[in-house]
Amino acid sequence: MAKIPLIRLECVSKDYTEGDETRHVLREASMQLMEGELVAIRGRSGSGKTTLLNLIAGIDAPTAGEVWVDGLSLGRLSSRERTLFRRKHVGFVFQFFNLIPTLTVLENVRLPAELGGRPREQASARARALLAEVGLAGREGSFPDRLSGGEQQRVGIARALVQEPRIVLADEPTGNLDDATGRSVLELLDRLTRGSGRTLVLATHSPQVAGLADRVLTIEDGRLVAIAPAERGAEG
Amino acid sequence: MPTCTLLRTGLRDLVRRPLHTGLMVLGVALGVAVVVAIDLANAAARRGFERSAETVVGRATHQVLGGPAGVPQDLLLRIRTDVGLRASAPVVEDFAVALDLDRQPLRILGLDPLSEGPFRTPLTGASMADPRFARFFTEPKAALVASTLADRYGLHIGSPLRLRVRDRIETLEVVGLVHAEEPAEAAALEGLVLMDVGAAQRLFALGDRLTRLDLVAADAEAARVAALLPAGLRLAPASEQASTAGQLTEAFRLNLTALSLLALMVGGFLIYNTVMFSVVQRRVVIGTLRLLGATGGQVVALVLVETAAAAAVGAMFGLALGWVLAQGAVRLVTRTINDLYFVVAVAGAPLTPVAAAKGLLLGLGVGLLSALAPALEAARVEPVEAIRPSTLEGRARRLVPKVAAAGALLALLGAALLVLSARSLVLGFGGLFAIVLGLALAAPLATVASTALTAPAAGAVVGTLGRLAVRTVTRSVSRTGVAIAALAVAVSVTIGVSLMIGSFRSTVENWLELSLRADIFVAAPAAGGLRAIATLSPDVPARVAAVPGVADIETFRAARVSSPLGEVRLSVADPRRPRRTQLYRFAEGDPAAVWEKVREGAVIVSEPFAFRHRLPPTGGAVELLTDRGPRTFPVAGVFYDYATEHGLVLMARNVYERHWDDRGVSSLGVYVAPGRSVEQVTRDLRAALAGTALMVTPNRALRARALAIFDRTFAVTQALRLLAGVVAFIGVWSALVALQVERTRELATLEVLGLTPGQMWALTMLETGFMGAVAGMLSLPLGWLLAAILVHVINVRSFGWTMRLLAEPTVFAQALAVSVAAAMLASVYPVLRLRRRSLAAALRSE
Repeated sequence: MAKIPLIRLECVSKDYTEGDETRHVLREASMQLMEGELVAIRGRSGSGKTTLLNLIAGIDAPTAGEVWVDGLSLGRLSSRERTLFRRKHVGFVFQFFNLIPTLTVLENVRLPAELGGRPREQASARARALLAEVGLAGREGSFPDRLSGGEQQRVGIARALVQEPRIVLADEPTGNLDDATGRSVLELLDRLTRGSGRTLVLATHSPQVAGLADRVLTIEDGRLVAIAPAERGAEG
Repeated sequence: MPTCTLLRTGLRDLVRRPLHTGLMVLGVALGVAVVVAIDLANAAARRGFERSAETVVGRATHQVLGGPAGVPQDLLLRIRTDVGLRASAPVVEDFAVALDLDRQPLRILGLDPLSEGPFRTPLTGASMADPRFARFFTEPKAALVASTLADRYGLHIGSPLRLRVRDRIETLEVVGLVHAEEPAEAAALEGLVLMDVGAAQRLFALGDRLTRLDLVAADAEAARVAALLPAGLRLAPASEQASTAGQLTEAFRLNLTALSLLALMVGGFLIYNTVMFSVVQRRVVIGTLRLLGATGGQVVALVLVETAAAAAVGAMFGLALGWVLAQGAVRLVTRTINDLYFVVAVAGAPLTPVAAAKGLLLGLGVGLLSALAPALEAARVEPVEAIRPSTLEGRARRLVPKVAAAGALLALLGAALLVLSARSLVLGFGGLFAIVLGLALAAPLATVASTALTAPAAGAVVGTLGRLAVRTVTRSVSRTGVAIAALAVAVSVTIGVSLMIGSFRSTVENWLELSLRADIFVAAPAAGGLRAIATLSPDVPARVAAVPGVADIETFRAARVSSPLGEVRLSVADPRRPRRTQLYRFAEGDPAAVWEKVREGAVIVSEPFAFRHRLPPTGGAVELLTDRGPRTFPVAGVFYDYATEHGLVLMARNVYERHWDDRGVSSLGVYVAPGRSVEQVTRDLRAALAGTALMVTPNRALRARALAIFDRTFAVTQALRLLAGVVAFIGVWSALVALQVERTRELATLEVLGLTPGQMWALTMLETGFMGAVAGMLSLPLGWLLAAILVHVINVRSFGWTMRLLAEPTVFAQALAVSVAAAMLASVYPVLRLRRRSLAAALRSE
């Protein structure tokens, strides 16, 4: 029996209109992502990588086509239903971390679990465990502006995982970090997602990420193109 | 100075962010509008009075004035023959109500057209040549009215003019129209009815007496006239009347101006907030400019020029809006002046160049002053700091205690100013402003402290969202603190003014209860505010006493007499009816014995009179010009009186009649026989006095009417209070819009993390509710303090009135609820705006 894809894009197009001009960011993109896969999306700046992640997360809506996640068509969900879907199924890791400056490290990580209705004690225990896993035990009470970039991204990863989502979307997670820190963050992300059977979709420029990925897709002129394993290095 | 390109960045920024620029323009516009409206209304009322005074006084240099009985007309002959002064004219002046012309009070001026040449223009115009004008001399009821009044009410030559004259209704006939030479004169003429002096004497039953004589006299001639005057008459410069009236309303006008300035102060907070927001949002741009070589001074200048541009536009809008508001305000102000001071005809409140310049300068000044702190903050942005958003707020949080300390110092200075300025009303308001501003500066500290106190509780009850809400307010304390301050000031003004009005009202109610003893009052309605004195026809007291059920009557007389202190209002009371001892604030010896002294020749004076003329609490004396010459009366006590802020001297009738020839009665108090119904006796009295214009009012109704006038007096105050509230509401609203814009990415991240629209509302409501609660809590002590200063300092210095301060708990509860509700309401638009934006775009935003 064939495996059912977790994420399916069917002829998805996304246009942005600026004044009289329409920019076609994605043109009839189709793809399928399986549970537990690590897929890297590559492309030049402005090529539509972030847009693709936003469409998968239900943050943005396609101009045409449909996005299916776990058998649900996101376009048919209301705004509230999309929020609840995201809350349950999707973890997001941002390039600029997007931590809430007025919350401590622990509170930042705990927040999605609390929003998801988990009891506070349980949410705190889960957040503490994740912080220990990302190497930030003892920094729970710190505010984000006291952390280095690498540490902030680790908090971001812990936050993305606190609800135990099936999908983690990471938009240039190492884009704002130096090479060594970026490497360690990537390893952490890989270990904590693929290691526990989650699907990880990474938008990135980095050739290192390509090396880790099961599959690499690139966006060229709005079209999604799969890259053969042999070509990955050259693309970097 | 910033370079041209640098300036372009700032000015383009204003255009590119219309919402932010709009808020800045709105802040200035509203503040300026309120100040300009009050300024124009005050100026219009003052000018209206001056014009009518000029029209009435004309080119006279001096006036011969008498006591309550007026001036004997044969004096005119002696002045003309003995002194040889031809430029002298007889004048009768009083008020009547035009029953068919919207019951407006009209000033009746009785003149002698043949003597008028050197004096007033209206009677020396071409109309004298008109043959019909002869009727002016021959007809006892002939009157001239202004052509504008005639046009408005469709009057023409031959029209009847029904007037309520004292306690009678008289019908005059319009025999001619008077045309004004210029629009300003038209407004003054409109309230005027001209009659022949003899006809006016008959109309007011003056016999051979006149109100005054007008003279155009050189100093030497004036001295000779003065020497000629018998006891009880005096020669006064003609300008005295206008300046007295100006002084009468000075405190009233100053109070309105001070309240309008308070609205401008709240507007200043709004400007500060928008400029500060602009600086915070553009820190990267400012950092880059600094990197490229812009000096701190140039950055300051850039921010100030931007603000000046927005403030100039705002001030222009403010002028226009102020002019519109002034048309409403002038009606309220004029009505109060007519109720309390004198009749003034005001056609409108035109925008004068001086008022416009004042409004523009004030708008620009407040704009630049409010932008100074943010501008200095911008200058401190280092290139390296530009990419770290928390830098400014970190510095702002460190500044919070220093700002609060400066505020405390300012408040102390204000308190010192209040104490040391003794009697000055202007310095009193200066102290009040310093205290309000000083305590408002404590708002950021109160915000930070409240966060520390409430964050754990908010976390325990609502969870991380609760903590997030409370901390967000503190994180942006440089803006939220000021929004809270603006709201706190506006709410405290509401509390202060409400408590003051409430205390005042309760004091007046209590005073009315104590001072109005008779069961029924019979009076001729006053036609010209409190300045006009009505006289009952001589047969009225006997007719009233004869009505069945009337056990006793007491007579009152109001009179104006001269004294070295200026014109003094005299209240003449029935010696058989002592004042209640609770009405005495100070008494010479035993309060119970005061009335005995009054009966024997002493007087008692009202509190405002004692304050105005700095009489000692006991042992003072008042010199009055009686018909027998100047006499000094010992003051036996000072009594509470809220009828007039200009002060009263109260005298027993037996003493009055000893010193003055006047035997008139202004009103009567009727005591109903035991067992008889007040309502029935009132009906019987009305029946007995049918055909007269007398008003028969039971005690309770009179009290209600007095309170209605009281409430009307505070209509402008209430309107201003509301306007300050509106400005503050917009302040909080703009701060919230600014904060939400600034937090776009953060809120989008929260949504990505699973925050539902309902939770977004809850979060924002928590934030704004917290801001409203902090502002509300702050406003409670500030409002009480404001009320205490208004009651114990400003009211005393303005009017000489003392009263008890009543701290009505519902006022505080309402203020707190309004504060929270206003803040929460202000968040509706920002959240809706947030809901409309694209989540993906919000995540990308800086």
